[in-house]
Amino acid sequence: MKEASTAPQRSRLAATLTRPVAGLLATTYRWVDERLGVSDLTHQLLYEAVPRRGAWAYSLGSATLIIIVLQIVTGMFLLWTYVPSTTEAWESLNYIEHHDEFAAIVRGMHLWGAYVLFVVIGLHMIRTFVSGSYKKPRELNWIVGVVLFLLVLGLGITGAMLPWDQAAYWTATVVTHVVDYIPFLGNWVQEILRGGPQMGPETLTRFFAIHIWLLPALLVPLIGLHLVLLRRHGEHGSWVNYEGVEVESEQHRAERMAHAESPYPALPSDPGYAVPVDLDQFFPSQVFKDAVLSFGLVILIFVMAVVVGAPLERAANPAALNYVPTPEWFFLPLDQILVQFPQAWMIPVGVFVIPGIGTTLLMLVPFLDRTPDREPWRRPEVMAPALFAVLFLIFEALLAVNRLFNL
Amino acid sequence: MNPFLLGASAPVLSKIPISTGVATALVALLMLTHIQFAAFQQGGYLILAVSDFMGWKRKDERHNRFAHGLLICLGATFAFGSALAIFAVMILFLGLWSVFWDTIFRVLFWPMFVEAISFVGEIICLYTLYSQWQRLGGVRGLRVGLELLLFVNAQIQMFCIDVMASYMLTPRPSSDLALDIFNPTMIPLEIHRFVGNIAFAGAMIALVGGVRILWSKGSTSRAYADWMGHYGLVWAIGFTIAQPLVGWEYAKEIQLHAYASWYSMMLGGLSVAFLFQVFLLGAIFTVGIYYLWRRVRAGGVRAPALAVCTGISLAAWLLISTPSSLAWSYEDVFAANANVPIWQGGLLIPWGEMIPFKLVALIAFTGVAIVAITVYLKHLSRGHLTWGSAGRGQAVALIVVGVAVSLIMALMGYIREDSRSPFLITDQMLINQQQNFTPPSSPGPDLNGPGSGVGVVLPFGPPLP
Repeated sequence: MKEASTAPQRSRLAATLTRPVAGLLATTYRWVDERLGVSDLTHQLLYEAVPRRGAWAYSLGSATLIIIVLQIVTGMFLLWTYVPSTTEAWESLNYIEHHDEFAAIVRGMHLWGAYVLFVVIGLHMIRTFVSGSYKKPRELNWIVGVVLFLLVLGLGITGAMLPWDQAAYWTATVVTHVVDYIPFLGNWVQEILRGGPQMGPETLTRFFAIHIWLLPALLVPLIGLHLVLLRRHGEHGSWVNYEGVEVESEQHRAERMAHAESPYPALPSDPGYAVPVDLDQFFPSQVFKDAVLSFGLVILIFVMAVVVGAPLERAANPAALNYVPTPEWFFLPLDQILVQFPQAWMIPVGVFVIPGIGTTLLMLVPFLDRTPDREPWRRPEVMAPALFAVLFLIFEALLAVNRLFNL
Repeated sequence: MNPFLLGASAPVLSKIPISTGVATALVALLMLTHIQFAAFQQGGYLILAVSDFMGWKRKDERHNRFAHGLLICLGATFAFGSALAIFAVMILFLGLWSVFWDTIFRVLFWPMFVEAISFVGEIICLYTLYSQWQRLGGVRGLRVGLELLLFVNAQIQMFCIDVMASYMLTPRPSSDLALDIFNPTMIPLEIHRFVGNIAFAGAMIALVGGVRILWSKGSTSRAYADWMGHYGLVWAIGFTIAQPLVGWEYAKEIQLHAYASWYSMMLGGLSVAFLFQVFLLGAIFTVGIYYLWRRVRAGGVRAPALAVCTGISLAAWLLISTPSSLAWSYEDVFAANANVPIWQGGLLIPWGEMIPFKLVALIAFTGVAIVAITVYLKHLSRGHLTWGSAGRGQAVALIVVGVAVSLIMALMGYIREDSRSPFLITDQMLINQQQNFTPPSSPGPDLNGPGSGVGVVLPFGPPLP
């Protein structure tokens, strides 16, 4: 009774003290809201139905987004110091490493953020693939996701060239040399990338422009499209969210559909594509999971940046012909495939044909697997080749590590 | 490397009065037999864990029964296989190959120590499962966990043994243990064996399934044998798919880092054995895919894609089995001065060359096997297979695959070990355990060297100096 009587008093006191500020804030918010519709937008963004089961796995998508934002922010910070010229790029980074601790950590976070991004985006794709979340009507979102993955790979390889140290210079040399093997167009593409027939100042300028302008200009709108499509069709999630829909009675199904929450359609064309059996709200439950995973990863990136940092080799020296360039770890499988082709005429097969076929098949997955089945066991036509592909990439990466270790 | 051991003085080793040839034959016989058992254990543990997990999660009685039967079999084969290994270490290595054993023990003390520990771990896990199977059934997660732990223990052992085997072929001239362990052929060998052992275990299960199909009387036992044969073969073919690629890369590392051994395998005295090995590989793929096709047909489904796969695999088998010359080795071809194609009176068969013909055949095997296993699993998931309807042809196919896998396993061990000849450890110890010697001259003629005029395309490009 005593507590009950003091609580309203406390509340009244707080209201009295904060009234001037709260009133001002409320008035301002109402003014903005009337003009921008912030309340509606917030409600639309936060209050949405998502599948309840397997929700931790869905957080990989949000974590990917957060790390991309982190990459943009750390990249902006680096631009304050980095000079994109062959004479000053290495010097500027060397200055960061030895005289600017904050920038050195930011640079480390940019590097480790990229590494973690590759892992998280890979896991996100695997989750989507295994759960068959690309199925009708979400095919386009899968394709957009694959393109985003390729853009991130492009950002990774172009970013690796920017320090203009030995590793960067020789990576750029190898990459621009490899494109020369493109039938008919190779020389032309090589000159565009190098800015001439030889490696030179323009090479760095071009890769810098690709890294900070071209690829982000493609990446950001595609991320927007990815999110819009996700919101349009709703999270498909794991197949376990649809367990039992095949055998449920018509009456039960009709009842479930009648209570379908946005964005799931109330009148589905197929029960397998429709509203999950068990729903939850995006806010707060999914947002909490997303925040925990993303926060954990950002902490991991920060710790790696502080403890390990980002390496910087000696300044680029085109005369150092005994230098053996090693690719970034996410390109190890491709590097190993390349060395398996013993004759020059076969190199395009290893560099373009095999990865090209693999990428095309990856994009076409929703059109190759059109049955409503989503349980992995019932989709061997895509699961078996995908398993072989993943094992192939793992084996190639391990073999590449062993080869490079024994150079 | 263990500095304590390095600094220690070598024990006085007295030689047992037995010829090197007899000692080699003894160790070869024992180790090749041991490898058959060990490979079955290595692969069998994974199949056991997966089967038990599937029986648990899918409430499938067949998987439950199979997992228990496999465990009993693994317990028995472990007893025999490990007894062979202990006998090999105690009698053969210490008795007949003591200098070698002493040397390898000094260099690779820690891997061998870890192997011994994991051997104890394997015993604990295996016999706990063996004796408490029913009781652990009440805590199924724990049982599957123990099975996985068993598999991990076995993999640690295999890793350590692969360190030794790869070190003998491509030792690094260093005193750094990391370089000794991750020598150039270590990871290729490890992956090759990891995949191969699972395929081997699957093939042995398929073999037993095939025999049981032929022997079974009742419909129930025939249905189970039929399922068992199919189950083993899916594992066998599924994992053999990786072998052409991994084997190719393994051979490439051998070429780069132990050229004499590579020459012996590809062009020298062992090339005929290597040809027989790829013949067996072709047999495994072709007969295996043929089984998949006929097995689906036995369920009343036509499966034309599987028929096409069988045809392509057969063509690839013929291609890969074609010798590159009508001689025992290339040296014989040169000796006979007949290094021109057979239609010009020589001994060379151009379409038997590694590049591009055998490479194309290997790619074809990989491609059609992926397609075939995918199509087969699709039919399986659609319920097109009924167990118990397999005929004699399919039973014989299962047995052929099992025998071919067993033979290829023994042959590969023989080729790898013999390719080092005259070395026991490449460039470091001769087969008679002599360590101070004048290095033998490089093997074979310089096929791509100036003035050789041969024009033979070597499997992996020009030889290294």
